[in-house]
Amino acid sequence: MELTSSVLNLDWVEVETKVKRFIKDYFEKSNAKGIVVSLSGGIDSCTVAALSALAIGGDKVLGLMLPEKETHRPQDVKHAKLIAKKFNFKAVKIDITSTLEAFYNSIPIFDNTEKLCKGNIKARTRMIYAYYYANRLDMIVCGSSDKSETMIGYFTKWGDVAADISPIMDLYKTQVRKLAQRIGIQKEIITKPSSPGLWTGQSAERELGIKYEKLDLVLYGLEHFMKTEEIAKQLHVKKEVVDGIRRRWLFTEHKRRMLLTTKLQYRTVGTDFRLPRNPC
Amino acid sequence: MLNEGDVKMKEEIRIALAQISCKLGDKNVNIDKMQKVASKAKRHGVDLVIFPELSLTGYVVRDQIYELAEIIPGPSTTVVADIAKKTKTHIIFGMVELSEKTQATIYNSAVLVGPEGFIGKYRKIYLPTHSVFEEKRYFRQGYQTEAFDTPLGKIGLIICYDIFFPEVSRLTRLKGAQLIVCISASPATRRTFFEALTVARAMENTAFLAYVNLVGIEDGLQFWGGSRLVGPNGKILVQAKYDEEDLVMCDVNYIDIRPVETFVPTLKDLRPELFDEMKIYAEKL
Repeated sequence: MELTSSVLNLDWVEVETKVKRFIKDYFEKSNAKGIVVSLSGGIDSCTVAALSALAIGGDKVLGLMLPEKETHRPQDVKHAKLIAKKFNFKAVKIDITSTLEAFYNSIPIFDNTEKLCKGNIKARTRMIYAYYYANRLDMIVCGSSDKSETMIGYFTKWGDVAADISPIMDLYKTQVRKLAQRIGIQKEIITKPSSPGLWTGQSAERELGIKYEKLDLVLYGLEHFMKTEEIAKQLHVKKEVVDGIRRRWLFTEHKRRMLLTTKLQYRTVGTDFRLPRNPC
Repeated sequence: MLNEGDVKMKEEIRIALAQISCKLGDKNVNIDKMQKVASKAKRHGVDLVIFPELSLTGYVVRDQIYELAEIIPGPSTTVVADIAKKTKTHIIFGMVELSEKTQATIYNSAVLVGPEGFIGKYRKIYLPTHSVFEEKRYFRQGYQTEAFDTPLGKIGLIICYDIFFPEVSRLTRLKGAQLIVCISASPATRRTFFEALTVARAMENTAFLAYVNLVGIEDGLQFWGGSRLVGPNGKILVQAKYDEEDLVMCDVNYIDIRPVETFVPTLKDLRPELFDEMKIYAEKL
């Protein structure tokens, strides 16, 4: 297999159709009244919110903008509003700074210098807001994790990834950009550097040490059972870099699984209790 | 002149490919849908209505499968046979079959019923257990290919992944099948394989092949539909829509097999000794 950007090409019309159908089908089967999307203003959440609006109608989609003072970037709010306007759904802005400060102040062992632990509080707090709105308004939460970040565990466990459905989780970041382009997401949103928004100046590509164009091909190779030597050789990157990504992928599996326990009885939740998601 | 027990066969029949979505785990709803579709097909003069794999229950039923399994013939088969009787059609559908001799040994089966009642069943031989599929976790594999004498000609039954193994279709043909029916529950990422293999199986066996796939979304799997009837020369005689419910109909005249069978005589040229060799090498793989 030749690892070039062409392997990531898909039929984007078909992808758009399938994702919209998936959202609509789940929405209808859940008997919910709408879909809540935590809308950061980044490409993933903007794309998911737009697809949700296209799938079920903008009047049934609610975007939650949840900025806080440390990571607040005016352009993100601007982009979120642009998408809401273009795809005709309501977006509500709530400053979560005071909620976060209440958390920080109430945790006896809180350490302001531990930016990852602190950042995870932000992601989990946003999740609480999304689920409160969903519960209160009888809606479902639509997540916007992509495949690149999900595979390498670049997300907060029980935080930003928590959702009822994640319609673009099988698309790598560079593929999300293509889909975004196809459905008319503004160029300035597509080309904006990605950030999880956990601390000031956080940049996904800088933190990961690799551009998404390259990372996605490494992950594609791993997905297709290629050996790290072969991936490194083809992409002209050091084998240690590919090995590092592979390790990161394997060692973050705990973040992608739910409810691990030890087997004690006949059938066990999360292991061999296998039920359909929408049983009759 | 026909003797007692002989089945008088029609040369020309009308087939309906009933591409439906199923309500997961709800046999009553699915049977109700079968009844409506069969009645509609009958109004168009259809003789044979074909539904997808596991159309009685839906495909991704997981552990609920044990509550849904039934012996064949059994309660659901009887209900569908009643539909066949009322509509004067033959019906093929898929269901979870419970072995009569055990309490939880089940098969992924295709059932053929007609106006006179139950005709036969086929138990899926090749059970996919890779990627998103977990059939061997639940099902026991079948051990026998099947082709049934009916008033609509000799009909061979295969199920979905069986089509990847040419010997299954070939055996139904060697048993005399003029029409090979493949019922399926194939998710979208496999479409290119099935579109090639349905044509190949029809051509290499010089037989008609009816492929009927599920549609709808079950646990994130999107079944792509695209049901089709392929002639013995590989020509697609009718094709259903992708991704949505559809009912398409087509006339089949078995006389059309003859010119193809003489033009590309794959059955005449068959070399049985190669199968012995295949067995030896398959065991050593």
